[in-house]
Amino acid sequence: MTDKEHIVSAFDRDLAAVQTLIMKMGGMVETAISDAARALELRDVELAEQVRKNDKQIDALEEQVASEVARIIATRSPTAGDLRTVLTVLKISGNLERMGDYAKNLGKRTSVLSEMPAINGSGGALRRMVQLVSLMLKDALDAYIQRDVALAEDVRRRDGDVDQMYNALFREFLTHMMEDPRNITACMHLHFIAKNVERMGDHVTSISEQVIYLVTGGLPEEDRDKQDKTSIDSALGKV
Amino acid sequence: MSKDIKISAKGVDVFYGDTHAIKNVNVDIEDKAVTAFIGPSGCGKSTFLRCINRMNDTIDICRVTGDILLENEDIYAKSVDPVQLRARVGMVFQKPNPFPKSIYDNVAYGPTIHGLAKNKSELDEIVEQSLRRAAIWDEVKDRLHQPGTGLSGGQQQRLCIGRAIATAPEVLLMDEPCSALDPIATAQVEELIDELRASYTVVIVTHSMQQAARVSQKTAFFHLGEVVEYGDTDKIFTNPEDSRTESYITGRIG
Ligand SMILES: Nc1ncnc2c1ncn2[C@@H]1O[C@H](COP(=O)(O)OP(=O)(O)OP(=O)(O)O)[C@@H](O)[C@H]1O
Ligand SMILES: [Mg+2]
Repeated sequence: MTDKEHIVSAFDRDLAAVQTLIMKMGGMVETAISDAARALELRDVELAEQVRKNDKQIDALEEQVASEVARIIATRSPTAGDLRTVLTVLKISGNLERMGDYAKNLGKRTSVLSEMPAINGSGGALRRMVQLVSLMLKDALDAYIQRDVALAEDVRRRDGDVDQMYNALFREFLTHMMEDPRNITACMHLHFIAKNVERMGDHVTSISEQVIYLVTGGLPEEDRDKQDKTSIDSALGKV
Repeated sequence: MSKDIKISAKGVDVFYGDTHAIKNVNVDIEDKAVTAFIGPSGCGKSTFLRCINRMNDTIDICRVTGDILLENEDIYAKSVDPVQLRARVGMVFQKPNPFPKSIYDNVAYGPTIHGLAKNKSELDEIVEQSLRRAAIWDEVKDRLHQPGTGLSGGQQQRLCIGRAIATAPEVLLMDEPCSALDPIATAQVEELIDELRASYTVVIVTHSMQQAARVSQKTAFFHLGEVVEYGDTDKIFTNPEDSRTESYITGRIG
């Protein structure tokens, strides 16, 4: 990668503009996630509604990124680092858009959950999981702007912690449901929320991998440890 | 799978009087593949290309040192006849240079002196096939006996390509073959290059990065007379090793 300027300065402006869109999108997704988490915790239905509404703007930004990227490819035929920049911008905007969807879904479930009795203890664990993912997202976006491979690697590693927290919550929700079948509906919603936060972590991991590709031209080799074992280890379900 | 090496340059230097135009170039050019030479104007692409069929011999002040092997034989050895060599290693020049003869004769000349046709109808066949492959047959088939110099610049260039392939060379050197061509003729020449790759070795100098990326499997980046980077075209255009290569192909100030 080189940070020298293009002879055609409009090319630099195009690349800068599309990366600014990504950062704007990233900021909106960060807000959506923290607002959704706060709405869930405080049973704030209005805030949850706001998160759902704001998702439209995130979707619109993704479309804007896609059409800008198409225009840059068509008019500038980017190569090497420039090519990797536009390819990663496109992928990252896709990851951010999906994260926005999960935040929106969290908002929807908050509206439903606010009508139900609270489940003891789960709120704090979910909040910690969301905080972890929010921080990962912030660091992944910083790694992107700084072209910081070490930070991107670190974010990837932290996704294992998110998976472990999800496993713990999965077991906890099962326990509550077994204790009292009246908890089932709420726990099912909470479980989907936990699962969606875990998936947000996967999208942040994908963003980190794009940072590594952008800088090095290669994707990281070794597979991350798969810490979400609920799908492969049925024993986890036996509490 | 590693391919056979058709041409091997070892420690090649070229001087025009005191000008050191090529500096210690070492490259192995693969058989049955297209190799692109790219680099800023004046970096020595044409000079190096001309070493491969000893065209520099015709320039008085030009001196070539080092070895260039064609299928492991030194092409600068005393036993090698440059005229025979140029039948094996054909060339299309940066500026179209048709002979002051008819269109037909321009193409028929090489096959005739090298005895490639047994009779007139075979020669007619070679001329037609060569002009078809050079994507100019339809434009000249009704005026084959008019002078080649009477064609437009882009038509002359395609005529020269037809002339170069008429002798069925093993190696075809092309110095910016498409610089005077419109997009359709350019696409036709690129299609021809792709087709030639099945049986020949092609080396192309081009200023179009997109063309180099499209037609070649290997790319060499020349800079101030040196080969800065040489490797798979896919790699050079997605993730070059040298920052000078990256600056050049992405259009940055080097
Ligand atoms: N016949 C010549 N006599 C003297 N110097 C020459 C001659 N031909 C080329 N040179 C010099 O050798 C250097 C390399 O020239 P060359 O034509 O190989 O460059 P090139 O890479 O093909 O450039 P371009 O892309 O403009 O065709 C230049 O400095 C040029 O001035
Ligand atoms: Mg030249």
